Amino acid sequence: MECFVKHGQRTIIAAAAAAALVLLGGCGAGEDAAEGSGNTSSGTRLAVVATTPEVADFVRTIGGSDVTVTQIIKPNVDPHDYEPTPADIQAIGKAAIVVKSGVGLEGWLDQTIESAGFKGTVVDSSQGVTLREGGHEEGEEGHEEGEGAHEGEEHDPHIWHNPLNAKTMVANIEKSLAAADPAHAAAFAGNLKTYAAELDKLDADNEAAFARIPADQRKLVTNHDAFGYYVDRYKLEFVGSVIPSLDTSAELSAKQLNELVAKIKATGTKAIFAETSLPPKSAEAIANQAGVKVIGGADALYGDSIGAEGTPQGTYLGAERHNTQVIVTALGG
Amino acid sequence: MGDVAVAEAALRYAEVSVGYHGAPVLTDVNLDLVPGQRLALIGPNGAGKSTLIKSILGLVPVLAGTSTVLGGAPAQARTRTGYVPQTDSLDAAFPVTAGQVVMMGRYRRIGWWRPTRTADRRAVHEALDRLGLADHGGTHFGVLSGGQRQRVLLARAIAAEPRLLLLDEPFNGVDAVSQDAILSVLRDLSAAGTTLVLSTHDLTVAHELADTVCVLNRRQWAVGPPDETLTADTLRRAYGGHAIELRDGRTVLVEP
Amino acid sequence: MIEPFTVPFMGRALAELALLALVCGPVSVFVFARRLSFVSDALTHTVFPGVVVGFLAGGIEGIVVGALVAGVVTAVALTLLSRGGALSDDAATAVVLTAMFSIGVVLVSRRSSYTSDLTSFLFGRILTVTPRQIAETAVLAVVILGLLLISARALVFRTFDPAGAAAAGFRIAGLDLLLNIIVALVVVAAVRAVGTILVVALLIVPAATARMLTARLPLMAVIGTGLILVAAYGGLLASWTASVDHGISLTSASAVVLLLVLAYLLLLPLGALRSRRKHGRIISSEARRSPHELVG
Repeated sequence: MECFVKHGQRTIIAAAAAAALVLLGGCGAGEDAAEGSGNTSSGTRLAVVATTPEVADFVRTIGGSDVTVTQIIKPNVDPHDYEPTPADIQAIGKAAIVVKSGVGLEGWLDQTIESAGFKGTVVDSSQGVTLREGGHEEGEEGHEEGEGAHEGEEHDPHIWHNPLNAKTMVANIEKSLAAADPAHAAAFAGNLKTYAAELDKLDADNEAAFARIPADQRKLVTNHDAFGYYVDRYKLEFVGSVIPSLDTSAELSAKQLNELVAKIKATGTKAIFAETSLPPKSAEAIANQAGVKVIGGADALYGDSIGAEGTPQGTYLGAERHNTQVIVTALGG
Repeated sequence: MGDVAVAEAALRYAEVSVGYHGAPVLTDVNLDLVPGQRLALIGPNGAGKSTLIKSILGLVPVLAGTSTVLGGAPAQARTRTGYVPQTDSLDAAFPVTAGQVVMMGRYRRIGWWRPTRTADRRAVHEALDRLGLADHGGTHFGVLSGGQRQRVLLARAIAAEPRLLLLDEPFNGVDAVSQDAILSVLRDLSAAGTTLVLSTHDLTVAHELADTVCVLNRRQWAVGPPDETLTADTLRRAYGGHAIELRDGRTVLVEP
Repeated sequence: MIEPFTVPFMGRALAELALLALVCGPVSVFVFARRLSFVSDALTHTVFPGVVVGFLAGGIEGIVVGALVAGVVTAVALTLLSRGGALSDDAATAVVLTAMFSIGVVLVSRRSSYTSDLTSFLFGRILTVTPRQIAETAVLAVVILGLLLISARALVFRTFDPAGAAAAGFRIAGLDLLLNIIVALVVVAAVRAVGTILVVALLIVPAATARMLTARLPLMAVIGTGLILVAAYGGLLASWTASVDHGISLTSASAVVLLLVLAYLLLLPLGALRSRRKHGRIISSEARRSPHELVG
């Protein structure tokens, strides 16, 4: 009898721990989730569900007070493996429009939409954006990625890190909002015009900031491959990433790890940039070995997320300005 | 001899070797048992007693010689043989009642999934009753004493109504009351024509119950009536030359 | 308290969990009695690479096939290994299993695509089960319960007394394989709803909890099923209430499993009391010594 109980207990404790972990993951930023359910019911305004914090920010900016936005993924939550809650599915079921970031980022969305019985329009904000291939274009020769890694059909979904792509995204969003609520089309168009100008300014500011850094010092090592479009746009050299995949669930092999360390040393890269939605642990280990610093904590980059609402980084523009400022400071300093 | 004797033989082993993976554990076994005969297998631990019993059940292969159990190959006879395992090979913590354990003896008759019938329940009750456990049908097997558990297992074997009953150390860790109950039931079974084969290292029990004994240790050393077979000389040879005492004309074995 | 379940996706989630409850109650009794929690654990690890290979070969449709194949292969391998006595080495087995799981992770990493469909296998997506998935689970449930119904008597005999069952003409290896395959089928059926990590809980906690209330096997199965049903209802309701009314994102599968574990913990003192009262006479040396005792 004793060994029955003892054995069972071990597994039960493990199961409880696993459940608690999943639970904690989900609870990460629960405190500001109420916004969604509270507002969707308010009558005449257009009910829009947006998946990621970036896209939700775009919709809020373009829609202004004429739409209510339910944002599914909270700030600093990894969008790659998200588990929707009943409230999320409920909100999608009641929404008129669902806006997604697209390019396969929200793999969970199709099934969720099906479950919710959503019959409205799904807006893929990535429409018209020129996509990067997956894998690592800049970091290729140093990585033993070889067989089968480049399928050709895999595209990098982190499109918003190029402000010009963001312009396309907001234009798509404006078009769909106007189609769904023609009465407010003029207001949406006005908001788009203002915001497009701000995006152009962000782009110009970024250009100017990197122009101050010598070309051979513009080297980037990040936590996962989130910054491909950013690297392309501002002509940076991508040395490698701690998680050598567009997804966050991949793992670095020992060989890849050693090569990354060697490459960091060889190229004279100054820092590894951590990301807000990912634990910085492996980044720290690699930085230790390579003798460089990890830019993390308050200075972590917004790769898959933006900051908490109400903070300066709580908008797309704020988060992107933060990223550029952190990178430029670290590389220039 | 002749056809009649062949048909009547309960067990016939001629020059048999048994063992696992081609390596013999026990060799030179010659046995010839008729219905109702009571054979005790005598030998030290590791002599091959359990292996011989399992070979009769068809669970350990016969490597050489000819073996016939109830007129056929050992595995074919399983429907008519009964087996009482050593109690400590069981999962005593497993949540079953004594009645359910005895019902297991009927499983082969009932089949894999047909419900139990009145006849099965009656057989279970009668078997328990014969061993003085009529009131314990609903008792959890794990809370019974060692002797009571052994009686339950014998009841299970009886419920299957076997023609050949094999018992592996049935008196190990058994109290006097249980031992008397078991001995009495075994004598009755034998009188009714059931052939008994039991392993033991208790010479007193062998004298008391068996009409034939077989002295084993890696091979068969002697077989015959207890008084003629359990001699100091034979036992000394089978057991390795010492730890034998003679007292009151009987052989007493003292294992180191 | 019924109203949330009138929303279609909540109703579907409850239906899926109810089907799993029907299956996991009885199966967990055998997992408990044969101490197969280790096997369940192993299966959740080995099914993962099967899922990945199935996905790579046939997309979403290939996942169930991949999981089924991997599950059955594991069931056969574990049966063979435990017969050879090789499984007594806990550490070696753990290494093998971890290796299998790593193969899955490597395959996922090699393919630098978005794998959220695959990661969902780790955590499950109970709220987004489709009617088709429910139908698949129902088919698996019928197969599993059918197999159990046919073999329950033989499995009980084999579990209690392997030597006696073999002597009575039951094929022990066949029965072991059958039970391992039944567990594999449960893992495959449950994995999409609650994920590989949490499916272990569904296979272990119900019977372990029920054992504290009764010593009768059929009753254990019924109580186990009842427990999962209550936990499913309570967990989904809690998840609904937390996220819809209070804006706290409580994921449903974790809520269900936590309720199950909570029930176990609450009943622990009761179980201790019972076993002291009823089995006080059992001496501890009776812990069994079968080679099938896989984990100490």
